[in-house]
Parts: sequence; C-alpha cells; structure tokens
Amino acid sequence: MDISSVQKLCIHLISSAVQRCRLSEGLCRLSVVLKSSPPIIRVSISDTGTGSCLEEFQDLKCNREGIGTEKWDGLLSIKTTSISDNKIYHYHLNLRGSVSARRLTRLPSIPKNDAKFSGTEVCLSISETIDALLKDIKHYFQKMLILKIPVSSTATLMPFICTQNDMVRNLYFNETFLKSVAAELVIERGDASGLRCENVFLPNECSPLNFSSSNVERLKSGLEEYVLKHRNSLNNKCDSCFCSREKLKISSGVASSMESHRSPGLIVEAVIAISELPESLCFRSSGNKTEVLHFKDFSPSSVSIASLNALTSIDWRSYGLTLVSAVDQVDHALIEWESLPPYLHIDMVIHCYHKQYPGKYKYQPDRHLIKKGVKLALDDLKEKHTGLLLSAHAVKICSYAPDLASSIAGIILSSNDLKFRSKCSTLLELSQSQAIGKQTVEDRIKEKIISVIETNDRKPEKIKEAAPFLFEDDRPQDLDPADLYLEEHAGGGNVFSFPD
Amino acid sequence: MEGIRSSTRSRDLLRKIKEFTLSILEDLSEGLSPLIFIQSFRTYCTNLDSICSCRSNKPSGHEILTFQKESHVHRIDVLLRVLLIVQQLLQENKHASKRDIYYMHPLIFSDQSVVDRAINDICILLQCSRHNLNVVSVGNGLVMGWLRFFEAGRKFDCINSPNTAHTVPVLVEDVKDLVSAALYILVVEKESVFQRLENDKFCSKNRCIVITGRGYPDVPTRRFLRLLVDKLCLPVYCLVDCDPYGFDILATYRFGSMQMAYDAKFLRVPQIQWLGAFPSDSENYDLPKQCLLPLTIEGDTYSKDQWLPPAPS
Repeated sequence: MDISSVQKLCIHLISSAVQRCRLSEGLCRLSVVLKSSPPIIRVSISDTGTGSCLEEFQDLKCNREGIGTEKWDGLLSIKTTSISDNKIYHYHLNLRGSVSARRLTRLPSIPKNDAKFSGTEVCLSISETIDALLKDIKHYFQKMLILKIPVSSTATLMPFICTQNDMVRNLYFNETFLKSVAAELVIERGDASGLRCENVFLPNECSPLNFSSSNVERLKSGLEEYVLKHRNSLNNKCDSCFCSREKLKISSGVASSMESHRSPGLIVEAVIAISELPESLCFRSSGNKTEVLHFKDFSPSSVSIASLNALTSIDWRSYGLTLVSAVDQVDHALIEWESLPPYLHIDMVIHCYHKQYPGKYKYQPDRHLIKKGVKLALDDLKEKHTGLLLSAHAVKICSYAPDLASSIAGIILSSNDLKFRSKCSTLLELSQSQAIGKQTVEDRIKEKIISVIETNDRKPEKIKEAAPFLFEDDRPQDLDPADLYLEEHAGGGNVFSFPD
Repeated sequence: MEGIRSSTRSRDLLRKIKEFTLSILEDLSEGLSPLIFIQSFRTYCTNLDSICSCRSNKPSGHEILTFQKESHVHRIDVLLRVLLIVQQLLQENKHASKRDIYYMHPLIFSDQSVVDRAINDICILLQCSRHNLNVVSVGNGLVMGWLRFFEAGRKFDCINSPNTAHTVPVLVEDVKDLVSAALYILVVEKESVFQRLENDKFCSKNRCIVITGRGYPDVPTRRFLRLLVDKLCLPVYCLVDCDPYGFDILATYRFGSMQMAYDAKFLRVPQIQWLGAFPSDSENYDLPKQCLLPLTIEGDTYSKDQWLPPAPS
C-alpha cells in the first residue's frame, strides 16, 4: 500500500481501525484525537475492535516525495491487544526505508490484570495544520456513513464534536457512521485558552436497521440518509426537499462472481437513489450530475478503470437516460446526463468486496460484475416504481396509447350489440349500472395499455429473449456474452436465475 | 369451390370485429400485449426446382403485431381507426372509398398507402375481400361490346351501341341479368388503345367485349372481368405492351397483385391469354432495329426487381 500524503496516511489508519471494529462482535468505540501544539499535531487513533496483527502497518510504504521527513519522522507508536491476550503489546515501527529493512521495536507490555477487552491505539506526530487534516477526515467520515458497517450490539451511538475558543467548527460528526461503533473526534488546540466544549448528538436514524441487515441493506439505508441530508452536509434530513418520502426512490443490485469466474468470491453491490427535488432554497453545487461513490472492501476507494468502463457501457437509453460523459474525479465518478429534467437527481454508490474479506487474496474490480450490479439496481427501481426509468422507446410507444384507446373505445361504444358492450365493460372492470361515458372507457383502456407497455419495458432483456424470435430485427442488440457466466441476484431478496 | 367464401355477410364480419376487439381487451386485462396475427400471402411460387402444383391460396407465413415495436404500434393504431370506420359502414350499410377513409384522419394516416395497408390487414384478419367491408374504389375501368346487364336498376345496354364506352360497375354484387352475344373478351392495357378500337368501331366488326383497366387494373375492373369470365365462359385475351409494365399488368390480371395477394383467388383470371408482341417476335419477324425503343434505366431495374424470382428463404 503506497501512501503519498499525511492526510492519506491518517485516513488509512482510521480506515484500518474501522475494519477492526467491523470484525469485532461487540460494541466498539473509535476515537480520533488531534492534539495541536504548533507546529506539531499529535494524532491518536484508537479503537476497541479486534486487536491488530501488525501486518497492516508493516506493509505500508511511504515515499519520500509524498511525505517529507520534515512532515513526519516515519514513526508509528502502536499499542494493541486481542481479547485472548493477557497484556497490551506496545511497539514502535519506523516506516522510513524499505519494507524488508524495517525494524519493529518492542516496548514493555502493559498487563491487563485479567480484564477482557481488545483494542488498538496508533499514535503519530506530524507537522501539518489541523484544517488541512480535518478537511479530508471530514470527507472520509461523510462517505463512511454510507456503509453503516454493522457490529452486533444494541448500543446507540454518541458521537462527539469538540469545539474550542467558542469557535464552532463544522458539525460534521453529527451522527453515527458506524451503527454501533461509537466514534468521536477530539480536537485540542494548545495555542489558546484551551477552552473545550463538547457537543453530544443523539443518533437520528432516518431508517432504522436491525443487526441481521445485510451489507447491501445497510448500504441502501446509508445512501438514503446521505441523499436525505444533501450528501451528508446537513445534520438532519432536509425537510423542505423531502417533505414526502415519495420523492426519494432507492434500489439496490448485487452481483457476485461464480466459482468458475477468474476471481471467484467477488461481490459488487450497487445502490441507486433517484430523488425529485423541486426548485427550492437548497442548492446543490453539482447541478444534476450524478456522483457515483466508490467503496472497496468497506472503505472509500478511488474510481477504477473497470468501473468507469462499466458505467459508460451500460445501455442507459433502455432506462430513458442519455449519458454524456463519465469522468473520474478521484474519489467518485461524475456522470453528466443529457436533458435530464432539472428536478431529477440521481445518486449512486458502488461497493466491491470479497466475500471472504479480510483475507489473503488479490483481485481486480470486474467491469462485467459492476455493470451487472448497477443494471440490477436500475431494473429493481423500474420494477418497483411505475413509470420510473421508462426507456425512450417505451415512452414513444406510450404516446400511442390515447389514440389506441380512443379507437377501441369507439369500436365498443358505436357497436349496436348491447351484449358485446356489456362484455367489454366486464373485461374493463367497469360497473354495469353506471352510465359509462366514452371518456371513462377510453381512460380505462389507456391505463391498461400503458401498464402493459411498462411491464414489457421492465422485463430484463434476457427474459424477453426467452420468447422465440420471429424476426431477426426483434433481437436485442446489446447482449454481452460475458454477462452470462455471472451469477446474480438483486437486492431485497429477489433472485433471478439465468441459464448458463 | 374457388371464389366462394363461407361468411362474408355484414353480420358475420361485425361478429368478427367484436371477437377481435374482445381478444384485445382480454389480453390487456391480463396485462399482456395483444398479439395481432396478420397472415402473409404471395402470388408467386418460391419452389424453384420442381414442378409445383401450389396455387398460392395458402398463407406463406404470418407477421405478429405487438406493442414492442413502434412501427407495429403505428400499424395497429391505423388498423383500429380504419376498423372503427368499417364497423360503422357495415352497421349502417353504407359505402365509402379508400380515399374517403384517408380523408377522415389525413394527418395520422399521412399517406393513402397506409390506409390501403390497413384495409388489407383487416381483410386478412376478417378473412374477406375489400368490398365486403363496404370499402369501394371508384371504378376506373371501361367496357364496350356485345353485352347487356343491370346494375342497381340501371340498364347498361352495350349491345345497342357496341362501340360506346361504359364505366365498369363498382358493385359487382349488384350486377343482374347479364346477357352477351360475344365470342370472346379482349382486355387492353391502355385507354388510348381502347379509344382507338372505339373510334375504329372494332366491335361492329368483331363480336366481342372490350375492357380496359386504364393501366394497372383496379379491383372493380378485375372483379367485373372475373364475373364475365365466370358467367359467360368466354375465352379472354389480353393485349399489353411488350415492356416490363405490360408484363406486370398482364400478371396482375392473371395472378393478382402482390398487395392484395390475400384476395388473389377472388380477383385473378387464370384463363387470360397473352395477346400481343412477345419479346421474341422482334427476332422471329426480323423487325427493323429502329422500330424498337430502348429500355429506360427505370424500366430495366423495375423489370429485374419484378421478375427475378425471390431468393429462397
């Protein structure tokens, strides 16, 4: 793992702590303390997750260009213990120099006196301003909130935010980012009076989860809150934009590779949220471009080429969308749409991980798997919400519905056969007693026609394909043979099975 | 027997329209896209390597119209609009021409051919001929010669003045008391030829009936000719130009048109014999080169398209 800046180093260390909490089965607490005594900041990242096996630190590589010696001396102080240990081990690790030449210095251990607990604390001193560090850490936590990493515990979270010198900092830590990992961020500045004030915020769950929730359900709930809070920039859901829950539609898709696949055990979870926001005071800087957030192995990640390729190769037109471009913005991909109505906003998150994570394996993100996951999420949205993501083709076909309905209604109502007319009324579920006007009949037929067109449009291409083709030109054009060997299932327990 | 349909009475057709409508409603109420089967017919035989006895009465396949393709939906839209008009015509026992129907929704139909296709589709669906739908075309054809008949109470006494042209009756069903002293029927391609025969008092010297469809024959002309041939059992000859259009017009009389292939067995006159210059005549009779007209490019490609057998599928 190459680390190129102090910010990235801190994020990496926090991320490791999160993973240790994720693997723990108890209530966890994670603290990030930034203690400022200019020009030095002492960073302490402590967690009550499973103990560390140290490998995660030993494999780190810091290049001199990224982190100069004047910024950081390369020293990590690590205290760690696992639940079965009877003492707390203390090490010093110098990350300067090559991986093989590294020396791990063992310092005297601290006895636990039969107490049962586990945890790790990593400390380092760096020369950097608080603000430079804070920006990235804040961004990291905003993203991490989306994962809603589970740990089996019933504890609620009490995150803290500390301000000092009466200067209220951004309250970016207003809510649990980990369901039961209590997280706090403490900033102490040594340059002023040292007045310290703590604000405690109670969790404000928009959609409570239980502990049996799957990763994808958590991701879904996380993205939902992320969107409701305007990309986690607010403390609470934005009531002016989301006065009704109807305005936010969210779906997920999970694609996993089969054993025969070149990287078996790979899982891609995709969640897509579509929100309808009227013109309001809330202004989102990115307009209605779509940010596609990326996670890999339960951590925010950069955008892979495979993912960009997947996003550009999806047949968006079959969902009524026209892609202009998908650009790599380092921590997210930015999609620009053509003629998307200004009130419509699409948010997307893609999480790739290995089902045996953490473990010893190497894999590359798989384009087909990512594409499949996103498509399943889109199909799921389409399935659940009538009229949503209707393909451009279906919209065109729907435009014929009024004319078709009018002609059929005309044939029924101009017939002088009363028996026939009453038979039609029965089929249309119109009551016999009421005087049926042309408009009523027409509307009912139109409704039915549109519903048929929408159902047709919702069918995944492969199901349509199962019907015999009478004419060559009916065959769907965009069939990706590589898609066929991927095992797939949609979120919400819907399982589709496809022939190999 | 060829030429007889089982049920083409208005009542039966109206019943079929109702059944068709109900089947669409049933599909829709089950959440299914209606499937409209349109059988396809052709007037030629694709069996190249053997002597074939097919008479092209049977459909050669079918198309299924659904809500999946836009072109299909447009076709269904037009079909239903025309069907509504047809239902009204049949219920009120009124007649309308294809052109009348076109002018009911000219913007949507956009072209007469679109209406013609819908009428053909409806004929195939209801298994009837166009005139059964009370859709008529204005008769274009002319007739003269040794013939007398009544149409809707009107007397067409050609025998009295055999060299006077009469328009071909539009409603062949209404033709009554057909009487003829002719020995044969002569079909000519062009109106100019017909007029020449008229001016020359051809029918005074020849006991015959002369008919022209003025180019491509329309349905009333072909149906009237078919009626004459069936009722009078006279030999029938066809005089056409020795060019691709002439051949095609001859083929239309003899085999029916491709557009209305579904109805060919009621419209064609298989007994018709080719009279006139054959392409081989120019060599057989040593016609001077200057008497021949060069084939235009248009005529050449037309000829190839029309006469090359379709590739076997």
